[in-house]
Amino acid sequence: MGYRDVAKVGLGGPVGSGKTAMVRRLVPELVERDYEVGVIANDIMTQEDADVFRESFDGLIPDELVEGVETGACPHTGIREDPSMNLATIDEFTERHPELDVVLIESGGDNLAATFNPELADYFLFVISVAEGEDIPRKRGPGVTQADLLVVNKTDLAPHVDADLDVIDEDAATVRGEDPFVFTNCKDGEGVDAVLEHVEREVLFA
Amino acid sequence: MTSDSSSFLTALRLSDSFLPVGGYTASYGVEQYLNEDRLEDGEDLQALLAAYLRRVVGPCETVALANAHAGAAAGDIERLFAVDERLHAVTMPREFRESSTKAGAKLCELLGPATATSSAADGREDPSAGTGSSVADGGELVAPFADAIHSDATPGHYPIVFGVVAAARGLPQLSACLAHAYSFVTGLLGAAQRLGRFSHTEIQSVLESLEPVITDVCEHHVDDDVTTMAAFAPMAEIMGMRHERAGRRLFMS
Repeated sequence: MGYRDVAKVGLGGPVGSGKTAMVRRLVPELVERDYEVGVIANDIMTQEDADVFRESFDGLIPDELVEGVETGACPHTGIREDPSMNLATIDEFTERHPELDVVLIESGGDNLAATFNPELADYFLFVISVAEGEDIPRKRGPGVTQADLLVVNKTDLAPHVDADLDVIDEDAATVRGEDPFVFTNCKDGEGVDAVLEHVEREVLFA
Repeated sequence: MTSDSSSFLTALRLSDSFLPVGGYTASYGVEQYLNEDRLEDGEDLQALLAAYLRRVVGPCETVALANAHAGAAAGDIERLFAVDERLHAVTMPREFRESSTKAGAKLCELLGPATATSSAADGREDPSAGTGSSVADGGELVAPFADAIHSDATPGHYPIVFGVVAAARGLPQLSACLAHAYSFVTGLLGAAQRLGRFSHTEIQSVLESLEPVITDVCEHHVDDDVTTMAAFAPMAEIMGMRHERAGRRLFMS
């Protein structure tokens, strides 16, 4: 057993876009659907971060299936050019839990150019926030255009930051072409079902 | 391509930060030195890395690498195990051991058994090329050593795998030691640059000043017996151990 024997879903996106919130929403739902889940976070910078992260999955998944992987201040290197330390952690997961179904790998917050190495993630979500500006999809960063699923999060904040969801919707459709995107509000769980549907269909049933 | 050219390219490849073995995640205590404000400027950094070279990289990792290279060339797997075990024993901080064994496993996966055969078939063992001694059989142990790492029969530290891979690809012992020491230094300089406030020119100037130290420690230790392998860097080791509970950490070690 090794990293090639388990489904791997990457979550990338800028700092503060809601990647961690999305992981927190996805894990209980996946566990509810009887999947055995492991979680790797690349932006654990303090012991407090690690503790909080483990506590949030307490009772859902075993502690040893929740790991932080430090990336030497290079979040994009950790998920793209040299994912070896993330892969080594997935190998450790599968050695201890051969029946593991899926690993969620949360990248450290990065810029719009961050994409996942296809050996590290079979499928990757790129999470952006409406609060980062309604023009984010229009910038056509590789993360936005190449992700398997673009997630536009924090829709509840749109009226407070003068972001027009219709503009985002139109721009996302233009830059994504046939590829899917969804609107979410992870705070209240809106849209998370649609994300799960994509992940399940494209990764876990594939 | 001559054997010399080929081994030169191997040295470049093994010392290049492009080599995906996770080296960029290790700071070997440098992050903790910076966390504790123990590195103020380029001079401090130069002094620290020179001490690393003279007290750890030379007498410990270079000795390990050179002996692993010799063991691989001689087809003596027991010697590889003994060198690996000793390096494990003399590497005190847990995170240093983990960074080294994880990178070792990744290097083995990357340049291990699958690629060793093709290298051997390239005629790199051509004795007329004068690339060093006993490289002809250097590839024989790559697969069994990889198996031993995979089955946890041996830790698989990075300098050991580096020595085995270098021998298999016809890179002479001293060149392999130089390539390893150089990449160790550039890895730590890169870490320092990302964590601290050092300019690119200052970093290059530190690197230049360390070049004679690199050559000196490698030439001095390349022929040392494995029984001499020992590190003496108590402050670096303490920094490495404190890093385990650091308030802020961007690196694995």
